[in-house]
Amino acid sequence: MFCNDFYKRFYVDEQAAEKIGFNPYYIEVESGLDEWIRMEGRDIIDLASNNYLGLAADIRLKNAIITAVEKYGASLCGTPVSTGYIDLFKTLEKELSDFIGLEDTVILPSCYQANIGLFVSIARKNDLVIVDRFAHSSLIQGAKAVGCKIRPFLHNDMEYLERLLKRSHDYIQVFVVTESVFSTDGTIAPLREINELCRHYNALPIIDDSHGIGVLGNEGKGILDAQNIHDFNGIYTASLGKAFANSGGVICGKKEIIKYLRYYCPHLVYSTSVTPSVLAGIKAVLKIIRNDSGVLKNKLYLYKNILYDSLVEAGFDTVSSPAPINSIRTGSRENTIATAKKLYEKGILSTPFIEPSVPINEGRIRFIAGINLSETAIEQGSEIIKRINQT
Amino acid sequence: MDFEDRIIAALNKSLGRKTEIKLESRLKEDLLCDSFDTLMIISALEDEFSIEIDEGNFSDIITVKDIVHKLRSAID
Ligand SMILES: Cc1ncc(COP(=O)(O)O)c(C=O)c1O
Repeated sequence: MFCNDFYKRFYVDEQAAEKIGFNPYYIEVESGLDEWIRMEGRDIIDLASNNYLGLAADIRLKNAIITAVEKYGASLCGTPVSTGYIDLFKTLEKELSDFIGLEDTVILPSCYQANIGLFVSIARKNDLVIVDRFAHSSLIQGAKAVGCKIRPFLHNDMEYLERLLKRSHDYIQVFVVTESVFSTDGTIAPLREINELCRHYNALPIIDDSHGIGVLGNEGKGILDAQNIHDFNGIYTASLGKAFANSGGVICGKKEIIKYLRYYCPHLVYSTSVTPSVLAGIKAVLKIIRNDSGVLKNKLYLYKNILYDSLVEAGFDTVSSPAPINSIRTGSRENTIATAKKLYEKGILSTPFIEPSVPINEGRIRFIAGINLSETAIEQGSEIIKRINQT
Repeated sequence: MDFEDRIIAALNKSLGRKTEIKLESRLKEDLLCDSFDTLMIISALEDEFSIEIDEGNFSDIITVKDIVHKLRSAID
């Protein structure tokens, strides 16, 4: 066959899924994120999406999006440096900067793209990237692409981080990279301490607040607000596809760096702009969050706690987390997939993590209960979980 | 602590594995190290011995004993 050896590279290991008779990935979804999600002809309780505030199918959002489509159409068919920079784009950059509490913002089509584009634009070969061991792959891919030295530190271990910083004087620039809420277990980074360490050792902090924006802090303003950090000189990124229920990624920080990215970040400059509908959707979410954040968050944590109690009652090895995330330790990938299968068959969609997303044999299943779910759905879900290990 | 024990302690700390780490343990097959774990190990060894290790130099390491040899010749 043509390029036979080349095509042999693309082996996908589906053994575990085949053995268990369930592939939890790429199951077709036949509805939006309403009270229930429809999959394979059944109504299922969605504990998998990152729709924390339940806004993805909110009528206010839908209306804002329809209005934007009527005005601008589907796309401006251009990158932000050309036709893609509509007035809505510009006002949203300003609104997001004010909301997050930093000087300026750029919006990219995704946070994965934003994180890679960021490192490619600002890091150089002789720099050092110190990164939390559990940081998201997008934060590491960018540094790898630049070819600078990468040194991981143990998860949230400030002593370890400080020792690395102490030994880092030979590099031109040092970056300390972490996430706010670590999405697998829901642990939260001590960003205040990281920020102070960075000041002391003249390193630049980079924080990815993808699972914090909209959820943490006063009015959901995110990690900086939640930890009372008012002197942040670093760079902040976040996905707008989770609590913000749209898509896109932001990079925020000092004016000079954002201006530089506007001209030199290839992932921004050479990629078609986020669409008008997405920009309008994000703007609508900002408005909702500003008005209702307190109520939304109360419900989010209420749901989280109900599910946590049922996971404990079922005898799962739960991970305790201050974030609205429940996670259980499921060990091997076989057991992880088998547990996800049992849940799915009983009507619950969860997120199983197997290697390489987590270290080998440290499988997890994550549950996020968005507040679009009805109380009935949460009660049903909780009853299913309580009995899941009895059958 | 002797040299070998310091290396094993650094590995234990960086990997947090439940399996016992011995000199004969193979990083990939026995300790199930992925490429990021290897970076963690390098980072821990640099910390323990106050040295700089080049990742490229680590690519032919198979067992913990190989690390011992490599570090010994680097430090001597
Ligand atoms: C911490 C973190 N960063 C970045 C991303 C990527 O964001 P996006 O989906 O906007 O590309 C994710 C999403 O999975 C994430 O969890």
